[in-house]
Amino acid sequence: MKIIKRLLTNPTSLAGILLLVAFTVVAVAAPWIAPPPENARDSYMIPRDGFGSEPAAPNDEHPFGTTEGQYDIYYGVIWGTRTAFRVGVVITIFTTLIGLLIGSFSAFYGGWLDEVLMRITEIFQAFPFLLSAITLSSVLQTIYGRGEAGSLMFLAKLLALVAFGHNPAKPVDPIQLQILTGMLAITAFGWMTYARVIRGNILAVRELEYAMAARAIGAGNLRILFRHLLPNAIFPVLVIASMNIGAYVLNFAALSFLGLGAQRGYADWGQMINFARNWIPSLADHWYIVVFPGLAIVLFVLAWNLVGDVLRDVLDPRMRGREEGW
Amino acid sequence: MLAYIIRRILILPVLALGVTMLIFLLLSLLTPYERVALYVADVPRRQGAIDELIEKYGLDDPIPLQYWNWMVGRKDPDTGQVRGGVLRGDLGFSQTGRSSVAEVIGRRLPATVELALWSAAPMIGIGIWLGVLSAIHHNKAPDQVLRVISIVGWSIPTFVFGLLLLMIFYARLGWLAPDRLSDWALRIVQSGDFMRYTQINTLDALLNLRVDIFLDAIKHLAMPVTTLAYLNWAFMLRVTRSSMLDTLRQDYLTTARAKGLAERVVIRRHAMPNALIPVVTVGGLTLVGLLNGVVITETVFNYPGMGSFLAQAAMSLDVVSVLGVTLFSSIILVLGNLVVDVLYGFIDPRIRLQ
Repeated sequence: MKIIKRLLTNPTSLAGILLLVAFTVVAVAAPWIAPPPENARDSYMIPRDGFGSEPAAPNDEHPFGTTEGQYDIYYGVIWGTRTAFRVGVVITIFTTLIGLLIGSFSAFYGGWLDEVLMRITEIFQAFPFLLSAITLSSVLQTIYGRGEAGSLMFLAKLLALVAFGHNPAKPVDPIQLQILTGMLAITAFGWMTYARVIRGNILAVRELEYAMAARAIGAGNLRILFRHLLPNAIFPVLVIASMNIGAYVLNFAALSFLGLGAQRGYADWGQMINFARNWIPSLADHWYIVVFPGLAIVLFVLAWNLVGDVLRDVLDPRMRGREEGW
Repeated sequence: MLAYIIRRILILPVLALGVTMLIFLLLSLLTPYERVALYVADVPRRQGAIDELIEKYGLDDPIPLQYWNWMVGRKDPDTGQVRGGVLRGDLGFSQTGRSSVAEVIGRRLPATVELALWSAAPMIGIGIWLGVLSAIHHNKAPDQVLRVISIVGWSIPTFVFGLLLLMIFYARLGWLAPDRLSDWALRIVQSGDFMRYTQINTLDALLNLRVDIFLDAIKHLAMPVTTLAYLNWAFMLRVTRSSMLDTLRQDYLTTARAKGLAERVVIRRHAMPNALIPVVTVGGLTLVGLLNGVVITETVFNYPGMGSFLAQAAMSLDVVSVLGVTLFSSIILVLGNLVVDVLYGFIDPRIRLQ
């Protein structure tokens, strides 16, 4: 409660929260402020106004203009808000879950399991994050692209279930599949911080009296771990996770910009900016391809960073009670 | 300290081995057909050729055996020639670069190194300077202003920043340009008269006494260097600031002030040397930032380095090239982290004097 009060009274985090509220409103109201065409198969595919190759400047019909191929930028920016929330939240859920599992087993059981799990964590950390995400998404696209992905399809379906509420019994839509590969790639190389933090925290609380007490009355290992230790060790991880949502969205946008995230024409901010790459010499005239989706990304990430900035102080015990950190 | 350094060095092979295993795990997810590029550049166009190659290079063997072959290479039974073998520096063939992956990396690395070197200095310098400034004026105007700038700066994606630079300085004003050199300069550089000592354009131009080419190289470097430096300075600032704030609270600084030293001396001579120790430790993270940053930066500015090659290869799903570049970058990162750790051992007296 104290944290919430602090977040609402601090001007920095308040600005962030207000921005997030605005984005939420846009995301929820998308079907009304940017109604999809009646015959649309997937409302996340940006409607096209013809197939002309030259981007068109903002006009009455297209308030933010159109990209090459006449994709409506306004529509893409509005529906892209939903994609941004979906990407950020789903990646956060999965990375924290993986981190929680690995970190808590590592700390609780210790010994060789701890050793092995921590070495694996270090190996994952030995890769530059964006490079590994690019690598993995190109590998996954190759695999999913050939139709029969075997056991890896299970991962895509699990993610599709959480991200799109997709029925696992049905095949995944190829449009969604491409976004899922980007999300999977970032998730696979994004869990390590959580694992390390949760491991450290559990090690700290494991030897406290109440854990001994739980053991003394005969509680099982898993019960001690999940009922007694985790709730006391999880808080910092949640704070870090909320601070990272902006970074995930940023990295996914980078993947999309390179052409590896969302597919062409999907309502995704990074993907829309990708269109600008063909118009660099005339970018002064075609500024709207970069500026509108770019502004959306900046404000969205900024909102999370503003909130995260204040949360960081809350997390750092040295800063607690002092109004000095930033 | 020796024990500390030895411990660090011993971890190295373990990490490097782990990195290769993870890369090979990804490779093994591909079909043998997609993996043929590990050993040959082209598949001859005749019936059954690909099956012969799979047989020849054991691409259907059990995974551990394939991993071994991939690491040390495999002898061609007909010619006796060894192909492949990461330890031999053979990373397979790149469809995107139309030569071996190792050759492409060798060809493109100097451009990336040039870019990284030019951006490292301003990034570290400005970051540290502003961080100290921020800590000294703690919670006063400069501190607050820098805080806002760094949060906003942090939220701008690299590619948006880069495209905005292009929009203003290239498309609108025409002062700066993408690519690495202008056509006229490229012709001179590739001609026989121009000695390529280092493959680093700015340096070679100076060594050849060609100021015009040096200036042309700068004109093309300015935007990517700014983009790459901007990526990391905010992070540097934050680390320096918090470390400096911690140091400023120490008792020995009160002592220094109490004995009448000027504030400038207290900061420069007493506080900064200690405050900058933790800054060294983020050197590894800075390297990560650079390695990640060059992919986007080089792509935005059409700069012919390792990063834009990776992006290109990934786009055309040339997985052998992508994995080759990633393996190479990860090994650089592992080595870089080792250097940082050892350096830290030398700098921090608490470890040095152990």
